[in-house]
Amino acid sequence: MFAYTVRRVIATIPVMGIVALFVFSLLYIAPGDPAAIIAGDQATPEDVERIRASLGLDRPFIVRFLEWLFRVLQGDLGVSIFTNLPVSHMIKQRLEPTFSLMLLTLTFALSCAIPMGVVAAWKHGTWIDRFVMLFAVLGFSVPVFVVGYVLAYTFALQLDWFPVQGYTPLSNGIGGWVSNLTLPAVALGSAFIALIARITRATMLEVLNQDYVRTAKAKGVGQRAILFVHALKNAAVPIITIVGIGFAGLIGGAVVTESVFAIPGVGRLVVDAILRRDYPVIQGVVLMFSFTYVIVNLIVDLLYTVFDPRIRY
Amino acid sequence: MSSSAPLLDIQNLQTHFGTIDGVVRAVEGVSFSINAGETVAVVGESGCGKSVTAMSILRLIATPPGKIAGKILFKGTNLLELSEPEMQAIRGNDISMIFQEPMTSLNPVLTVGRQIGETVMLHEGLSAKDAEQRAIEMLTLVGIPAPARRVREYPHQLSGGMRQRVMIAMALACSPQLLVADEPTTALDVTIQAQILELMRDLKTRVGAAIMLITHDLGVVAEMAQRVVVMYAGRKVEEGSVEEIFLNPLHPYTRGLMGSMPKLGSSLHETGRSKLTEIQGQVPSLRKPIIGCAFAGRCPNVTDVCRQMAPAIEEKAPKHLVACHYAPRAAAAA
Ligand SMILES: Nc1ncnc2c1ncn2[C@@H]1O[C@H](COP(=O)(O)OP(=O)(O)O)[C@@H](O)[C@H]1O
Ligand code: SF4
Ligand SMILES: [Mg+2]
Repeated sequence: MFAYTVRRVIATIPVMGIVALFVFSLLYIAPGDPAAIIAGDQATPEDVERIRASLGLDRPFIVRFLEWLFRVLQGDLGVSIFTNLPVSHMIKQRLEPTFSLMLLTLTFALSCAIPMGVVAAWKHGTWIDRFVMLFAVLGFSVPVFVVGYVLAYTFALQLDWFPVQGYTPLSNGIGGWVSNLTLPAVALGSAFIALIARITRATMLEVLNQDYVRTAKAKGVGQRAILFVHALKNAAVPIITIVGIGFAGLIGGAVVTESVFAIPGVGRLVVDAILRRDYPVIQGVVLMFSFTYVIVNLIVDLLYTVFDPRIRY
Repeated sequence: MSSSAPLLDIQNLQTHFGTIDGVVRAVEGVSFSINAGETVAVVGESGCGKSVTAMSILRLIATPPGKIAGKILFKGTNLLELSEPEMQAIRGNDISMIFQEPMTSLNPVLTVGRQIGETVMLHEGLSAKDAEQRAIEMLTLVGIPAPARRVREYPHQLSGGMRQRVMIAMALACSPQLLVADEPTTALDVTIQAQILELMRDLKTRVGAAIMLITHDLGVVAEMAQRVVVMYAGRKVEEGSVEEIFLNPLHPYTRGLMGSMPKLGSSLHETGRSKLTEIQGQVPSLRKPIIGCAFAGRCPNVTDVCRQMAPAIEEKAPKHLVACHYAPRAAAAA
C-alpha cells in the first residue's frame, strides 16, 4: 500500500510535467501579444521590442521553458505583469475563498446527491425516481451562472435570506462564512449533484440486484442498512471515480460562480488576469488548479482500496 | 398451539408475478408442512417454482411485481400478515436461508466476521465485540480453520466451499428453528458437496433446526431428508416419506425423475450423485392458466380426462399424497 502510494505519487510527475509544458505554451498559442499590450496603445515598435526583451520573450522556447520550470519548482511563479506582485503571493491571498467554496460545494453536493441516487434506485420507476432524474437532467443542462443569478435574485434580493454577494473569511466566524457561501455552493453544486445522483442511481440499481443484497434481507437487515451499508459500499468505487473526474467541472464552475457572486477567489483572479493578458498569473492559476485536480484524483485512487478490499496494489 | 402442530404450515400458496406479457403463475396452490426438527426435501426440474416457494416463505419476493396469496403459518402465525419490521425480526433469527450461489451470496466488501456478526447484533443485541466472538465460534463450528484470522477476511479470500460454510455459519448464528436451504451444494464440486452435506447433517442434530432442502439431487434427498415434496409447474404433484417416494413413486412425473435412480439403500452412496433424469417434452408455460393436469403434455399415461380435468391431490397410501387421476390407490388407505 505504501509502495503503491509512492509509485502513484511518482507517476504524477510526468503528468505534471506535461501540464507545465502546456501551461507554459499558453503564451504562444493564445492570441494577442503581451509585450504590445503592456506597452500600451501609444508605444512605438521599438518600445514593444524593448519590453519583449525585458520579459525574455525573444529567447528560444525550450530555454525559457526550462528556466521557468526551474523557478516554478522553487515556488516562484513569476511576477504579475499588471501588479508587479509575485504571482504565488497573489494566489495565496485568494486561496481561502476558493477552497472554502469547493469544500462546501463538495460536502453539500455529496450529501444531497448520494441519498437522492440511492432512493431513486430503491424506488426506481416510481414518481420519486422520475423526480430525481428530472432534476438530474435539469441540473446538468442549466448553466451555473443561470442557476446562480436565479438563486441570488430569489433568495438574496427578494427573500433576503442570504447576502447577494461577497465573502466573509472563516476567521470572522463560521456563520458569515456559511451564509456567504450557501448560494454559491448550491449554484455550483447543482450540476455536480446531477452528475453524482445519476451515477449513484445507475450503480445502485445494479448492486441492488445482486445476490448478497438478497442475503442481507434474508438475515433480517433493515431496508436502510441494506441500502446505505450493504449496497452503497459496493457502489462506492464508480461514485468516487465520477467525483474525481467531475472535480474538473467543479473547478471550471468555481471560476464562473466567483464572478457571479463577487467572491474574491482564485477564479476571479484568473478571469481578471485573462482580460488583462497577465500571463504569469494565468499560468500560475492554471498550474495550481491542475495540481489540485491531479492530487484529488490521486486521493480517489487511494480511496478505492478503502471501499473495495478486492482492489489491492 | 399444540405441540403436535407443524412448525411451518404452507396452505394453498400462490405466488404470481405480473410481467409485461402476462401473469407468471410461478407457484399455484402449493400446500405442505414441516415439523420441528424435520428435514423436508423439495424436488423438481428447474423452473418448477422451488426457489419462489422458498423465497415466499421469508417474503423475499419483491411485491410488486410479485404477489403472494394463501397462508404461511409459522408456529401458528401467518407470515403473510406480518408487517415488514415483524418479518425482519423473524428473518435470520427464527427462519434463515442459504442460497445456491456461495460465490455471489456474500457481500464482497464486508468482512466475513461482520456478515456473520451482523445477524446476532440485529437479533440478539450483541455488541460488535461480542458479535465478532460469536462469529469466531460459528466459524469454528462450521469447520473453518484459523477462525480468528478468517473473521477479518473478505469473501474473495475464501474458496467456494469455505464461503458456503460461512453462509451456513451466518444462517445458524441465531439458532433458527427452520433453515431453508435452496440447492446449497449445487454450485460446489462433488467432494466439497459431500463435506457441506455432512456439515449440515451434523449441525442439524446439534442445533435441532428443521430444514427445507431444495435440491436437484436425489442422492442428497436420500441422505438428508425424511419427507419429500415433488413439484411440477408450480404445483405439488406428490408428497410422501423418503421411503415411499423412492420405493413406491406414484406420480408419472416422479417416476420419470426416478428413471435411472438406484433403489434406496446402500447402493445410493456407492453410485454417488444421481441427478434428476431428463423427461421428454416441454414444461408448460406458466403464463396462462393450465387446464387439466399440468403434466398431461409429457405424461405417458395421459387420457382425455387428464386434459380436461385437473387431478386433485389425494392420499393414495398412508401419508402419501399424489395428484394424478390414475395413480393406484394402495389397499390400506381409506
Ligand atoms: N421475478 C420474477 N418475475 C417473473 N417470473 C419469475 C420471477 N421469479 C421467478 N419467476 C418464474 O417463476 C418460475 C419458477 O422459478 P423458480 O422458483 O426459480 O424455479 P426453481 O424451481 O428452478 O427454483 C420460473 O418460470 C421463473 O421464470
Ligand atoms: S393425471 Fe393424467 S396426465 Fe396427469 S399425471 Fe396422471 S395420468 Fe398423467
Ligand atoms: Mg431455484
